[in-house]
Amino acid sequence: MSIIQAKDVKKWFGDFQALKGISMEVAEGEVLVICGPSGSGKSTFIRCINRLEQHQEGEIIVDGIELTNDLKNIEAIRSEVGMVFQSFNLFPHITVMQNVTLAPIWVRKKSRSESEEKAMELLERMGIPEQANKYPGQLSGGQQQRVAIARALAMEPKIMLFDEPTSALDPEMIKEVLDAMKVLAEDGMTMIVVTHEMGFAKEVADRVMLFDDGQMVEENTPELFFDKPKHDRTKLFLSQIL
Amino acid sequence: MVDVIKKNIKSVQESLFSSVGSSVLTIATSYLVLNFFRGMFGFIMSSDKDWLAVLNNMQLYMVQAYPESDFIRVWISVGLTFVFSGISIGLWRSEDRSNISVIFDRFFKVGLGLLFFTIVAPTFTSYMGNDGSVITEEVFSRSTRLGILIPTLIGTVGFLVLKNVKINFSYNNSDVVFLYLFIPVVLIWFVKLPVIQLDENRDRIMPDPLMPIANTTKIPWSVIFVLFLLSYFIGIYFKDVKRLKNIMSISWFLLPLLIFSWIFKKPVIEMNEVLTGDIPIFVIFFVVGLLVVLFINNPIVKKYYSIYLGVVLVGTLAGVFISIPMLAKACLLLLSLFSMVVPAVSTSTQGKRSLIIIWLVALVTLTFLLRGGASETGIIVPGSSIFGGFSLTWLLAIFGTYVSFPLGVMLALGRNSKLPIVRIICTGIIELVRSVPYITWLFFASVTLAVFLPAGVEFNLIVRVLMVTAFFSGAYFAENIRGGLQSIPKGQYEAADAIGMSPFQKTGLIVLPQALRAVIPTLVSSAITAFKDSSLVTIIGLFDFLTIGKTVIDNQSVPVNFVGHQRENLIFVAAVYWIFTFTLSRRSMKVEKRLGLGER
Ligand SMILES: Nc1ncnc2c1ncn2[C@@H]1O[C@H](COP(=O)(O)OP(=O)(O)O)[C@@H](O)[C@H]1O
Ligand SMILES: [Mg+2]
Repeated sequence: MSIIQAKDVKKWFGDFQALKGISMEVAEGEVLVICGPSGSGKSTFIRCINRLEQHQEGEIIVDGIELTNDLKNIEAIRSEVGMVFQSFNLFPHITVMQNVTLAPIWVRKKSRSESEEKAMELLERMGIPEQANKYPGQLSGGQQQRVAIARALAMEPKIMLFDEPTSALDPEMIKEVLDAMKVLAEDGMTMIVVTHEMGFAKEVADRVMLFDDGQMVEENTPELFFDKPKHDRTKLFLSQIL
Repeated sequence: MVDVIKKNIKSVQESLFSSVGSSVLTIATSYLVLNFFRGMFGFIMSSDKDWLAVLNNMQLYMVQAYPESDFIRVWISVGLTFVFSGISIGLWRSEDRSNISVIFDRFFKVGLGLLFFTIVAPTFTSYMGNDGSVITEEVFSRSTRLGILIPTLIGTVGFLVLKNVKINFSYNNSDVVFLYLFIPVVLIWFVKLPVIQLDENRDRIMPDPLMPIANTTKIPWSVIFVLFLLSYFIGIYFKDVKRLKNIMSISWFLLPLLIFSWIFKKPVIEMNEVLTGDIPIFVIFFVVGLLVVLFINNPIVKKYYSIYLGVVLVGTLAGVFISIPMLAKACLLLLSLFSMVVPAVSTSTQGKRSLIIIWLVALVTLTFLLRGGASETGIIVPGSSIFGGFSLTWLLAIFGTYVSFPLGVMLALGRNSKLPIVRIICTGIIELVRSVPYITWLFFASVTLAVFLPAGVEFNLIVRVLMVTAFFSGAYFAENIRGGLQSIPKGQYEAADAIGMSPFQKTGLIVLPQALRAVIPTLVSSAITAFKDSSLVTIIGLFDFLTIGKTVIDNQSVPVNFVGHQRENLIFVAAVYWIFTFTLSRRSMKVEKRLGLGER
């Protein structure tokens, strides 16, 4: 049973077509890695999945809810889909704890004490419980990104989207974030990860996709994707980044 | 010790005499500053100057002609403000502690300054006599100089030693406010200055005994200080009660309204009108609002929501033309605004509860204001303004900022809104208000505004000035805040969207707090400008602080002649303005530092 279905999704920015008909499905509990050159539409596509961008043609169905302009649907989707950004986008004016409890308290209308308990659990799972009362600006990049993951998880989403979560990080911090993501994957979270960390893809992904020029060029298991790619475009891409 | 001195000398050398150019600059500047100070000192001390012109007119400076029999209202308001401040400081008491040496250091620096100025102060000063000859007199005798110098020297050295001895004692940064305030309160009991006294024939008795300064105000100030301290302890005691913090914030918002009507209008209220008019209208509207909040999200009722809203809107519009009580018109307007917000918010019990509280507070405030505003005032003073002097300046500054700030926030958000009609209206207001000089708006307030108000509504000149001032500074605030809004990265909006926040939550919890933080310096400088610009109201015949000093006192001839003492008064006025604006900007720097924590 697939939790995300996209059928022939097309998206234009003005005259420029960023997505040229993407069709794919993601099963529950699956980890999907998307890679591809810069500007190929990876971000645009996963941002369509939680409606940060609107697609103009085709359909996207998430957990049985079709994405339309209906505000109710958008609200429902956003509480089921968590997102982690390349540039963290933590709220700098409130503490880490407040960042993580904001959504449960205001969107889910849970009590403060319950939310804080849950938040502490999440921060522990991310390995940063001691940072709870600091401000985001006082943390390292890797720590900030783990707070961002905890913030997304606090909504108890069924699906997590990651848009290049490690590309703004110094090399020594990449591992700590990837490890945190591995834990998530092992716990059975459905994940779509845009990344160029091929080690992560080989180890954790169930499937790998290559985007190029607004199209999905190749879709394969990690073993085949890296060892026996079907398309020349994939070979070229792999030779460039490995 | 020797090392410390060597280090200090070296740092002075580096910062002041690092090169030929900077040495020249240092010497030239010191020369200018010294001369300015010596001239100023001579000016202040010369027997030519009559500082009694300032001292003796304190009451005029503060409240102009406000009747003495109603002073109790002013004192209660001041007291109330201090009690509120005390509770708030207690509730939000900072946990920061500083070592006692910080205080010693501060006293040491004050002593150092005093020493310096005592040494460089001139012994003689000259001024032009009435006949045109230059008169030279001694203003600072050797014995006075020594009399000040020796105790100051002892004190300064004492504090120097104290601050370098490691004493293991720290104090809470909030507590120390009370220590500093304690000093002036004690001083008004003991420091004595000459004051003019008149005998029963209104003849001047001089030079009669020195009186404690602020003779008539020392008791009220002392009482207020004690209340301030008590409320501080109350605040600390209830520190952990979260609800009290919310109540306090709302109270701060309502306090100016209360004080304003309490001091400004001593409403002569007809109980009859209240019982037959206000209370029934209040009850009806409260009940309607209550029903809307409770049942609007019931599926059956919801179908008729648009019909209901239409009826209310038509009623509001009709209210403009038909003659119903002013309160009913205002309540209708309020109800239509309220009804538009309700469906989105009253989805949870918590939302319903806060809606009901907001509705109650809004209605009470409105009723109170309209009844107070529409009634005759019981305060009779000559001229068109109830009071003038510092209280007018202060009122314009505080109330102007108070009203214009939320107005500015709304205008700024409106100008960024996605709805074209809202955007156009807000942009229009901002551009219209900003493109006309403040003075023109003041004339508008005094001459034209009455034409635009509904028939039967008449406001005192001061209220009209407050209205235009609120819009004027509101428009400037709006532009500042809009700058802040634009400085917020797109990622912040996306992150808020991604965790499912509603547009209201996004604005209130993420965007505005950051935008306001980013523009604190500009907001403070706008507030300071508003404070200083308030002196322009003299143009339309109001007597602000400056006008009292410059014109009113200079024209005083009975019972004591103060003609020709403009300069003393102007210096005093300038000093007071400076103290307030300087304190304000220092405070804002501190706030900025504290809030800046997140952005490090
Ligand atoms: N808001 C936008 N307006 C116009 N063009 C955009 C916008 N966002 C992305 N694009 C364009 O769409 C293309 C795909 O962008 P993106 O999805 O960010 O690529 P990727 O994440 O794969 O690097 C790029 O050519 C980019 O310039
Ligand atoms: Mg991208």
